[in-house]
Amino acid sequence: MSTETDTGHATAGSDARRTPRRNARFPLGVNYYPLESETSGWEQWYAGDVEGDFAEFEAAGMTLVRIFISWKLFEPQVDRYSEQATERLRDIVDAAAAHGLRLIVCFFADDRHAELLDVSWGRDRDPRTDAYLIERECALVRRIVSDHRSDRAVFAWELGNEAFWCGFASGDELEAWAAALREAVREVDPDRPVMCAFDPETLFHESRVDGRRALGECEIVVSHPTMRYRTYAAEGPVTSPGSTHLDSFLLRAVGTRRPVLLDDIGAGTLEASHGEEAAALRCALYSGLMNGASGALARRWRDMATERRKPYFIDPYEAIVGLSDTEGHPKPAMRVLREFAGVLGHLDLRTYSLPHERVAVLIPSERRSPLPALASLYSPRSCLEAYVRVKEAHVPVTLAHEEEPFDPFAVLIVPSVTDLAGGTWERLASWVKGGGSLVFSYGGGEFGSEARELFGVDFLGHGGARARATCRVAQQGLLGQLEPFDVPADIPHFALLGAGTSTVVATDSAGSPLLTLNRYGQGRAVCVAAPLERVLGQSGLRTPPAEVQSFLRTLYGAVAGVTGCGPLVSCDAPEVEVALFAGEDDDVLFLLNHADRSLTANVGFVVPVATVTDIRGGSPAVVGGSSFGAPLEPHGVMVLRLCYA
Amino acid sequence: MIERSEQVRLAESLARQGRIAPAVAACYQALRVNERDPLAHCLLGGLMLAEGFCEQAARSAARAIELDQRCAAAYFVLGLAYDRMGGLWDRSILVWQQLAEVVPDLATAHVQLGEALAAASFADEAIDAWERALQIDPREPRAMYHLAVSALKREGMATALPGFRKAGELDPSQDDFFFALAGYDAEGLPAAAMSDIGPGIKSQLRAAHAFAANDELFKSSELIRSILDGHSDDVAALSLMAYLYLKQESVNEAMACSLRALTISTKTPTAVYALGAAFARRPALAAHASKLFSALTTMAPGQAMPHVLHAESLLGLQRYSAAGAAYRSALALDPGCVRALFGQAAVALTAGDHTAAAWAIRRAAYHDTRRRGYFWGPYDAAAEGGEQ
Repeated sequence: MSTETDTGHATAGSDARRTPRRNARFPLGVNYYPLESETSGWEQWYAGDVEGDFAEFEAAGMTLVRIFISWKLFEPQVDRYSEQATERLRDIVDAAAAHGLRLIVCFFADDRHAELLDVSWGRDRDPRTDAYLIERECALVRRIVSDHRSDRAVFAWELGNEAFWCGFASGDELEAWAAALREAVREVDPDRPVMCAFDPETLFHESRVDGRRALGECEIVVSHPTMRYRTYAAEGPVTSPGSTHLDSFLLRAVGTRRPVLLDDIGAGTLEASHGEEAAALRCALYSGLMNGASGALARRWRDMATERRKPYFIDPYEAIVGLSDTEGHPKPAMRVLREFAGVLGHLDLRTYSLPHERVAVLIPSERRSPLPALASLYSPRSCLEAYVRVKEAHVPVTLAHEEEPFDPFAVLIVPSVTDLAGGTWERLASWVKGGGSLVFSYGGGEFGSEARELFGVDFLGHGGARARATCRVAQQGLLGQLEPFDVPADIPHFALLGAGTSTVVATDSAGSPLLTLNRYGQGRAVCVAAPLERVLGQSGLRTPPAEVQSFLRTLYGAVAGVTGCGPLVSCDAPEVEVALFAGEDDDVLFLLNHADRSLTANVGFVVPVATVTDIRGGSPAVVGGSSFGAPLEPHGVMVLRLCYA
Repeated sequence: MIERSEQVRLAESLARQGRIAPAVAACYQALRVNERDPLAHCLLGGLMLAEGFCEQAARSAARAIELDQRCAAAYFVLGLAYDRMGGLWDRSILVWQQLAEVVPDLATAHVQLGEALAAASFADEAIDAWERALQIDPREPRAMYHLAVSALKREGMATALPGFRKAGELDPSQDDFFFALAGYDAEGLPAAAMSDIGPGIKSQLRAAHAFAANDELFKSSELIRSILDGHSDDVAALSLMAYLYLKQESVNEAMACSLRALTISTKTPTAVYALGAAFARRPALAAHASKLFSALTTMAPGQAMPHVLHAESLLGLQRYSAAGAAYRSALALDPGCVRALFGQAAVALTAGDHTAAAWAIRRAAYHDTRRRGYFWGPYDAAAEGGEQ
């Protein structure tokens, strides 16, 4: 994904007040909402100082801006379009062009402040399903696209925001609407990307509607955690470790080969302090880049000036927290964005690239099974826990969906699964036989014959729930240096296994296998008898047992290691996320501290490092060895250019 | 009385056994039979909340209330779900207010209401709610903790500390700890009739502890005095006497008894506890209390309470980071220790870390709700047809 924007001027040598060089290969920007105050009326659509704001975007190193069309303003009467609105949009597009910005134009956004969709003549008809309204929507889209199809400042057309998509009752309706509107765009503009700005995972969580098929036609997809999804998947402050990994988790979960734009990033509620907002934004931006995002959009430019609410009310899709306060003064988050733009300006993404991930956490298809199957609700939490633990082992990891081919991967982690779809066990067995390493944890249910054969175990029955998690190591070193533990934990299931042909690596307190390893064909099949990822994922307001976290981290790291896809860079701090962008002559190392405390991460390399240099410039520091310590602030980041000896 | 269907009974039974998934399936089955069954919706909401699926819990509880506006358990589920979802304080406040109307003498409704008001930045209204909770039930520790935290926010630690101490005294875990140190399980100590007590000192001591555990302090004192008449050097009896004096606010006498016990044997944890608790009641002696509780942490390894007591004495000495470390030790041993979580919130507030404080308070509220089993009481009352 490239905005092909001018590259501005460089800051090497570092005068922080100068405009950072812009990276056209990683568009960075912000959602630019039409109203800045709750007291403003819908007719004041972008009535503020757009030119001035765009100048500030340019100065901050941004290249991308999302704007929102007001149907209510554009078409006050049926088939009668407002000249005033058309001219105002023209001014916005011209202002963007003048400042080297590219626009994502969102046509149908549900926004309770600006009433963008509330056409008075629409009465109570649903703009998502009513044939007449859809016809009018297509006409509006054709008109706007036609007006601006030759404008270089328009980067992409976006059909709707997630609040709008959530109103669909079924995937079929959603797909039909998207197809109609996309067709309307394509009639006039066959080239520019068309987007549907919903994250398939968060949309499904909110509405139980599977929108993935509609994304199939999109050139660019988006990913973002909504506030509700954040509370569901990673309960806690926005700067807690689960929460700071959530952006990259969802980014990976989108699972397409198309560019993914990380949008709506940053704190969503006013509960966080300015410092926490900045930390949340920093984690989202850097972890997005470190996990292959193609661009990023901050949630909002300026704080919404809200009225004193008694009691305070927050709409789940309301975006009221921005990069600057209501007076326009930049908040610490703005500095973070500027700094990130500065880093981007020195990272040539044509030269440096991330390695292909050969380890994946499998999202089972039971995620989309209907209630009362609780697996659909447990599954994302278990997958997130597994993902975070692999990250803590510093192994490059991605997410894969059960229905996707397994061939691209060498290690698959199937966390706390109750049931796999028909045929998946056969596919897994064939994949393991060919050399893959599978880590599976039992999540209840039956343990079929394919699973028993693959793991080389006998299934003696369901052992019931337990109040303690216990691990006694039987074969130390076989799957890493596992530590024994005995901690209180709500274990919902425990598979009573007979060793069979497998090697028992660890047992519970009674000697029943907890962890087994089976050589199957050319690969390995590892079975954990309890849903430990679910135990962690379900801890919520309780404290997750650190011993179980450490167990999984060690296990995943060891399996990846013996399969030949271990960490490229070793690091002694699990809280630090590591990414290595490989270049031709040198590499760029990203270190992101997800912890809320300062620490020094000792990183080690296979090849001795001669010097390290801050990517933004400065003098090289001589290392002359294969490891060095990197001091990191709470939620701090370090980006170093490495030259090898 | 709400008629319970067979499917609901099955779901209840499974839920009480902790078998969540089949219980949820049974609830769905019950709703297929009768979609208008408020108990099935309420139970489903409770199960979803127990698993942390707040949106589903809220949906089910709201439907249960729609069908039966006096279903207190459903209000509990709905309010707790909104609280955990965050940002829905307006709805949460409304739910707790409605619960307070449905069950007017329920102190917990006012405690929860106060928490929702505080989260929505209505500090004065929150204090009113907590004070109302204490009017209804003067032994409500969570309301007292919240008032102490409010005092800390407004006036500092010196004003807040007595509140924390008072809340600690109301918290039953401290008494349980004393009996555990003495080698008894407080819940397994039923008070016997005087005439049933055996002649041996062992059975008399057990009976005295049983009376004390059941708040029959005079009977316990009487028995202890008779023991001490014959065995004036019995450290267990002296320690219990000190404990009884503490319960009656006779701090000097408690000090005297526990000191006497410690001169006989320095390795008596109950005496160390009683002397530390007595010192802790005198602000000038906080340093001594801190040393004793520190010693108690090694005498009672694996117990969270000595670390909590140690931390509270450190708060009195304004050694906040040391107190924070002691609270962390307590939470490492018992992650659900409500008293330690409130203490951790206090330490976070002294460092200006309001987010950490708010999070610790939310966790404390969660664990308090969990340990008191708020769901099943009102649910059973609804199922039996009465109010709580």
